[in-house]
Amino acid sequence: MAKSSKDEIHYLLLKLHSLTGIVPIGAFLVVHLCVNSLRTVGVWPYQLSIDAINNLPFLLIIEITFIYIPLLFHSVMGFYVIHLGKTNAHRYRHPRNGLYTLQRVSGAVVFVFLIYHLGTTVAPKLWEGKHYFEAAPFLIDILNGEFQTWQGMVIYTIGIISATFHFSNGLWGFCVSWGILIGQNAQRNGAIVFAMVGLALTVLGMATIGEFNMNPVPVEATVAR
Amino acid sequence: MIEKPAMTEKNIIIKIKRQDKPASSAYWQTFEVPHRPFANIISCLMEIQKSPTTGNGETVSPVTWDSNCLEEVCGSCTMLINGQVRQACTALVDNLTTPITLEPMSKFPVVRDLQVDRERMFKNLKKVKAWIDIDGSHDIGEGPIMQDQDRAKRYIMSECMTCGCCLEACPQFTMDNSFLGAATFNQVRLFNLHPTGEMKKEERLDAVMGEGGITDCGNAQVCVEVCPKNIPLTESIADIGRQTTWQAIKNLFTK
Ligand code: HEM
Ligand code: FES
Repeated sequence: MAKSSKDEIHYLLLKLHSLTGIVPIGAFLVVHLCVNSLRTVGVWPYQLSIDAINNLPFLLIIEITFIYIPLLFHSVMGFYVIHLGKTNAHRYRHPRNGLYTLQRVSGAVVFVFLIYHLGTTVAPKLWEGKHYFEAAPFLIDILNGEFQTWQGMVIYTIGIISATFHFSNGLWGFCVSWGILIGQNAQRNGAIVFAMVGLALTVLGMATIGEFNMNPVPVEATVAR
Repeated sequence: MIEKPAMTEKNIIIKIKRQDKPASSAYWQTFEVPHRPFANIISCLMEIQKSPTTGNGETVSPVTWDSNCLEEVCGSCTMLINGQVRQACTALVDNLTTPITLEPMSKFPVVRDLQVDRERMFKNLKKVKAWIDIDGSHDIGEGPIMQDQDRAKRYIMSECMTCGCCLEACPQFTMDNSFLGAATFNQVRLFNLHPTGEMKKEERLDAVMGEGGITDCGNAQVCVEVCPKNIPLTESIADIGRQTTWQAIKNLFTK
């Protein structure tokens, strides 16, 4: 049977969907949660890290090529993958089947959350032209405000938990679909390890928003223009 | 000695989803059969066939179903019993909650009543060349010897009876996509592990690296939960995942 190029493209696109979930998006998620958790150590190291990021050369180009394009690709493919199947966890009540459904639900939730999250942070930053050392006080001011309302706390709690679940369960899915975890024991042990990774990332995220909520500190630009 | 359950007078109510023709719409009918110890779904269907009368006294056309071996090795009697996919011949009435509902599988076209057409599965086996080439017009000689550990691994995989449980229960397998499904991937692994079958390994992998192929598995792993033969389907899927990944990397540099 001759294989059409359509088949080759399909294979490539789905593999890329899987891969982009790990790098760069998954890697970014881990770095993002770690950097933000510096807020629990203090405002000063937190501001320093934001300063460092916002003074990177070619920041916008880096963000577009390594975050926004892969994220958009993964999301579009994600909705395509969702459309391919039909969840049935209500009928076949097995833990893995529930996680299959949750992987899809969490992906869609993350998508909506990211629109909100980018809309309240990156979009105004770019719109108001707050670059270099001006970005940190501007962003910290926005975040301090966001975490003072219970709505803000709820949105971020749901958004972070969806993202950490989606990523850690996705790590497991990646390892199984690429044939890294094959045996039933290996798959189970992998699931335990990735559950702990997910838990650790969730704790990190929750601690960060908790600190913002209880201790909103305004800051001045590190270096005045 | 097996202890016989006590004879009871009660009747068993069986609700059956019926369909007269492939294109006609489905409807439900309720039947009652006398309770017999050790009765299975097939024996109940045979009882109904003797005199197909619904609960409200109406005489109807006999219910049709597929069955053959009556010992869970042919797979033809697969249907939804109380909403779960399984073989009717080994579904004992005493172990089921009543009223019992019977439906044809939902992921295959209905032929009539409880009979479905599982041709998609057999077509998929052809797609992946789920066989081993033997002598053609001339003798190609003896094949290589199979290692004993491979033989043991292959044995359990070879028990697949193409019943369709894994596909019916799979959220990625639907009537309007071309997903090959767990049973097919297991056959690819089975024949790639055979020392002679291995000669067609790349062709088989090629056949599962496209639309409906291995990338469309979402790891819901319901297949392995419902497989009546306890075939390690999820191991087979992950192994084909590994084989295709290496194949893709190889293709990247050699094609
Ligand atoms: C924080 C952002 C995100 C990260 C870190 C992420 C990460 C991942 C990872 C690692 C996988 C596993 C890949 C695999 O199964 O091989 C995955 C799968 C998936 N992602 Fe995402 N993802 C993100 C956002 C999204 C969004 C916005 C959607 C949109 C709906 C989405 C939809 C999906 C779907 C449907 C799958 C399942 C694929 C399958 O099981 O076959 N993801 N994601
Ligand atoms: S009749 Fe063969 S499996 Fe039930």
